[in-house]
Amino acid sequence: MKPVAGIGLRSPHLAEIGRDRPATGFLEIHAENYLGGSTAFLTIERLRADYEFSVHAVGLSLGSVDGLDEAHLARVAALVKRLEPACVSDHLSWSVHDGRYFNDLLPLPYTEEALDVVARNIERLQEALGRQVSIENPSCYLGFAHSTLSEPEFLAELVRRSGCGLLFDVNNIVVTAHNLRLDPRDWLSGLPGGAITEYHLAGHAVNDCDGQAILIDDHGSRVGDEVWTLFDDVIRRYGVRPTLVEWDSDIPELAVLLDEAARAGRMIQAAGADAARAA
Amino acid sequence: MPPALRDLQAAFAAQLVGRDSADLASAVVGDSIPADARLRVYRHHVGHSLGAALAATFPTVQALVGDDFFQAMARAFVAREPPTQPVLAEYGVEFPAFVAGYEPAQGLPYLADVARLDWALNVAFHSPATRRLAAADLAAVAVERLPSLTVGLSDGAALIGSKYPIDRIWHASQPGTSTDAVDLAAGRADLLVLRRADDAFFVTLAAGEAAFVAVLIDGNALELAAAAGLQADAAFDLSMAFARLLGLQAFAALQQDGDRKVVKAS
Repeated sequence: MKPVAGIGLRSPHLAEIGRDRPATGFLEIHAENYLGGSTAFLTIERLRADYEFSVHAVGLSLGSVDGLDEAHLARVAALVKRLEPACVSDHLSWSVHDGRYFNDLLPLPYTEEALDVVARNIERLQEALGRQVSIENPSCYLGFAHSTLSEPEFLAELVRRSGCGLLFDVNNIVVTAHNLRLDPRDWLSGLPGGAITEYHLAGHAVNDCDGQAILIDDHGSRVGDEVWTLFDDVIRRYGVRPTLVEWDSDIPELAVLLDEAARAGRMIQAAGADAARAA
Repeated sequence: MPPALRDLQAAFAAQLVGRDSADLASAVVGDSIPADARLRVYRHHVGHSLGAALAATFPTVQALVGDDFFQAMARAFVAREPPTQPVLAEYGVEFPAFVAGYEPAQGLPYLADVARLDWALNVAFHSPATRRLAAADLAAVAVERLPSLTVGLSDGAALIGSKYPIDRIWHASQPGTSTDAVDLAAGRADLLVLRRADDAFFVTLAAGEAAFVAVLIDGNALELAAAAGLQADAAFDLSMAFARLLGLQAFAALQQDGDRKVVKAS
């Protein structure tokens, strides 16, 4: 896919997009919302004539010590086969334990043991889909004392072992860096930039946690200034890629979301033009 | 000795449903935000997001009881019946039965039936768009075979019966509707939930129609279903009822075998 800016497709906007076909770089869907064969899926299939798609899974639970849920994996594989998306992704996190699904992106300790588990699960996923998948850095609210690797080291090792790509969520690193007292630019310098296949942008909330500010990745507002600034740094450092603006709570009018994506698109164009001049 | 990943995930999962563990908290880096406060962020999000998923599937129940009541009921349900897979549109089949037994909701005896209606609408919305029976399809069926014809309902169709007028309750609780009081003494409602092009909807059936559909759903022939319709309501008119359901695209297409229609006859 070209390095363009797209939007996360959410059900309140589906009818409008189906009717008006507004200009945007690509559409990303959450895999788990389109596995049931509903009318919404038929609309998506019709939209394929006009848009490139990206499939973002939220429930594969790549960090689960017991491996992947094969029944769910088969459904995601069938969706990917039907949609032939440009990119497929899920997160560096877990959400399933002992047959219970927690609907959250739960944190992993960054240890050799966890590395073996996640690499094995990614390999199984790529084998089932017959293609490369990209792994997204999660928003973290805690770190584990026994972690022996940094998050970028862990991601780099996953890339090396499994050949996966990286989905770099710029908002998530702003959230994680604030909450875990890291420097986002230090974090970035450890990332294998060549493996990045897509960027994500979103808004976050600032909540009170025992009198301290904690950033919450709620995807419920416009992209924050700190995220835009870091995004500009990132695309100038690692190059432009397809970039998605996500909005999942307090979903605004479609025009607002398209406006955010257009801003990302202008930054991609400017960075791309500067890189071409420098080359 | 750092915890093994399996033990860590087990303790974390237990924490999410309210069982704190000192070992887990000691594995988490705390600072001005202590470890247990950090863990609570996840517990809060899991509860909130699953409550929101249930509210999306049961919007009429939520509208009837209000957000606070609904979220408390949802939390109690999640603790008893957590999701077992990540497709949340498929989560909540046990919720109507849970509502029926939920002590604080006993003052709303129709609530569990409204939950069944919400669930049926959700299932219909997510059902595949398979071919429906059209009037022209019946032209190929010999008239004398019609009584023994078995016609199934379309994918996603469901018959929801209630002692209460849940159709009026449903309409009164839609956003933007003026809330006229619904008289619970108005009596029972039999609703047929169906999928259509872009959403799911229901129609209210007369008693004879409901008896007719109930027998058809069980896989019985038209003749038997018609007898049940007449038994329920002496004024039941088979051709009118059949035409209405045909117009609603309530029936599945007849089974096909190549170009030849195979009509299942009992």
